[in-house]
Amino acid sequence: MKTLKLTTFILMSLFMLSCSDDDEVMPLAEVESTTISNLHAPQEGGQGQPVSGTFTKFDFETGQETNSDTDWDIAFRGTTIAVNGGTETGTTDEPLRTSDAGVTIVNGTFEDITEVTEDIEFDQDGQDGFAIPTGSGNGWYNYDFATNILSPIPGKIIVVKTSDGKYAKIEILSYYEDAPSDIDPFEDAPRYYTFRYAYNPNDGQTTFN
Amino acid sequence: MTFWVKQGISQENKPETDSLAYYDLKEVVITATRSERKRQDIPMPVKVLSQDVISNTGLRRADEILNEQTGIITITDQSGFKGIQMQGINSEYIMILIDNVPVVGRQSGNLDLSRLALGNIERVEIIKGPSSSLYGSEALGGVINIITQKPKSNDLKLGVDAAFGSFETSDFNLSTQQKLNDFSYSVFINRLSSGGIDLDKNLQGNTIDPFENYTLSSHIKYKFSDDLKTAINYRLFYQNIDISGEREEWDNNLTSITNHKWSSKLNAHYELYFTQYQANQLETDPITDNILFNSEFNQRLFRPEIRLTYDIGSNQELISGFGSNFEFLDRNLFENDVSFNSQYVYTQYSFSAFKNLDLIVGGRFDTHSEYDSQISPKASAIYKLNDKLSIKASVGSGFKAPDFRQLYLDFTNSAVGYTVVGNRVEEAVIERLQNNNQILSLSVNPEDLGQPLEAESSLGINLGFSYQKNKFNLDFNAFRNDIQNLIDTRIIARKTNGQNVFGYINRDNIYTTGFETDLSYSFNPNFKMSLGYQLLYAFDKEAEERIDNGDVFVRDPETLVTQRLERSEYFGLPNRSRHLANFKVFYKIPEWKAFANLRLNYRSKYALFDTNGNGLIDDFDDSFVDGFSLVNLTLSKSLFDHYKFQIIGENILNNEQTGLLNLPGIRITGKIQYQL
Repeated sequence: MKTLKLTTFILMSLFMLSCSDDDEVMPLAEVESTTISNLHAPQEGGQGQPVSGTFTKFDFETGQETNSDTDWDIAFRGTTIAVNGGTETGTTDEPLRTSDAGVTIVNGTFEDITEVTEDIEFDQDGQDGFAIPTGSGNGWYNYDFATNILSPIPGKIIVVKTSDGKYAKIEILSYYEDAPSDIDPFEDAPRYYTFRYAYNPNDGQTTFN
Repeated sequence: MTFWVKQGISQENKPETDSLAYYDLKEVVITATRSERKRQDIPMPVKVLSQDVISNTGLRRADEILNEQTGIITITDQSGFKGIQMQGINSEYIMILIDNVPVVGRQSGNLDLSRLALGNIERVEIIKGPSSSLYGSEALGGVINIITQKPKSNDLKLGVDAAFGSFETSDFNLSTQQKLNDFSYSVFINRLSSGGIDLDKNLQGNTIDPFENYTLSSHIKYKFSDDLKTAINYRLFYQNIDISGEREEWDNNLTSITNHKWSSKLNAHYELYFTQYQANQLETDPITDNILFNSEFNQRLFRPEIRLTYDIGSNQELISGFGSNFEFLDRNLFENDVSFNSQYVYTQYSFSAFKNLDLIVGGRFDTHSEYDSQISPKASAIYKLNDKLSIKASVGSGFKAPDFRQLYLDFTNSAVGYTVVGNRVEEAVIERLQNNNQILSLSVNPEDLGQPLEAESSLGINLGFSYQKNKFNLDFNAFRNDIQNLIDTRIIARKTNGQNVFGYINRDNIYTTGFETDLSYSFNPNFKMSLGYQLLYAFDKEAEERIDNGDVFVRDPETLVTQRLERSEYFGLPNRSRHLANFKVFYKIPEWKAFANLRLNYRSKYALFDTNGNGLIDDFDDSFVDGFSLVNLTLSKSLFDHYKFQIIGENILNNEQTGLLNLPGIRITGKIQYQL
């Protein structure tokens, strides 16, 4: 046991040393975890009618909603999430994909996902559907026909390769305005996303710490 | 044999005054082995409700009396359909028989037993687990056989009763039966009506709509000779439910059974059975008269069967049977009328291996027009250590064929816009939707569309003992049921309206395990108490695997923090209570010709559906219904020679619950009965 403790100590010291070295050479922007509340993602149609309407686009670099046709990473309309990579899926009013961004869903808590490992593969939108599958239980949410409540599936973390090749992770927390803890599907307004994300703005870095 | 011989052994031998003389040791059961046996000799878990037990409760319908039995509850599913649950297995997998032939007409798999009147019931036999696998599809969770009264004496027997109760409920029964030398008949007529119940005035519509229904049940039998007898049973049920629009139900059953005794050893039964269940529902908006829902359902089953019983001697018996099922269904949610046909053969051999050890082995083979053939073997044993104690074990398999709905449904919800399609019509419906430009993309490979569904199958094991000594009776049974290939829905395509097309797939594997026990004690012939309990664990195996792999999470709705779900926090399948218990007291005062019969039924908490998005029911979901007790009390007094008065209090603790449970509060019924 003593050897083990000693080894750990040495490793840690080395690690700290190397860190301080790095700091001196090139200061890095920090990865911060941010929560976005009430991102409104309206849609037209539904309930048996064809769905249409503009997607609400989001840019991780600015951490904000955007109207740009090119500088966006992911976009929301109702329960559908598009990514700025791939081709059209065929739905009305969808944005043109202008970059090579991709997404994937990983199981875990937000904290569990500390880096984009080698085995993570990113998907893009296309003729076969959205990279984040739509429908209850397929992608990021479950919809209960009995209660008419839509719940984000806990433990589904969306990992994003952004339009400029950087990495982010998102956890969707609520689909209803002001993220009520006790949802009344007839009172609480849907299509208001609350999500937490972490974005690493440093080129080539795959970690979220 | 079932229908005309030995029906009343227990009845006839009973002294008139104290019919409760401790325990009825001659109680016979037909369902478990397809031949009449004493309950004590049957190796499967069996419960028999005698006519006395039923009439002493004053209850009217089969679901009400079954609800008071250990390990059995009526549950309401998410769509509001009612059905029975037994050993944690839902109504879809429990076969209901009337006089040995199956009742059809299920809604989403549920069979509502409030359709079955109790006024002319001789006894109800309950066999748990699939070990009575001679019955084929649907019998994988158990079999409930409702046996009607048959004439026993040459005297005319006439009974009339009328009951009035809460919620404008009225119930009338008329029954008559008689034996006239070689001919005998019985007729039973029932009318039940209710003014409906509205528990939540804020919600539009009633909790239970007003209804009236009629049951006619008749039986004739002719004895051509001692060796040749024919019986014909006919039953008709009609119900009219008062909604905005129309809602009607018809249920017809016609059976003809001929018993031919070829020799003292060989007995043959020739059975022809026809049944039809029809339900029409046209729901309109009360204000605009627009059609909200229109459903027409017409199911028919025709079944000829021949059964041979051969008494080999020295305690050996061989039973074999074969038959065919021809099933038809017209339903306006299907593109075409559909039909099934299947053939089956079964055999069962019972023998004594050693002194005190009786064994029954058997099996059934089914072929079917729509899915693979099924073999359902079973084996069971009973070992009698002495007069009082016997040990029972049984193992068996059962199956449930994909039903018409899972194969042929073609339904689009007009309000929301999703579509559900049966397995056989997946390709055709998708093609039609594609031609109408309603499909955005397929979610499965085109080759996977219409891949045949397999039958759901189960393996059940029951192990128990029974101890009986004078005033004391104890039954214990531990069970485990594994059900494979449960049919579930999956998304097969995305629609342009943002909704999905659902198909059916074999996916889930579940198990239910636990034990049930009944303990009763008669202080004296007039005072009896009993206690029943069931412990149940019912889980989805895939869900357990996902939890073990750390793939299931739960998010706190307040803090929005997510954490991994522990195995111990997985509550199990929906609508299952860990504990079911009942306590009953029967007290009779002979000098007053009166009795009181109190029954308490407890159900521990259960959940109806997932609310926190992880797709399973865990301790953090908020759809839990707290545990509750229902207490029913029946007071009875006989007057003069032929009259009996009863007051029946149901749910006397006035435990009212709204929501999905929709439990009305206290209901009081007064009943007057005349028996010639």
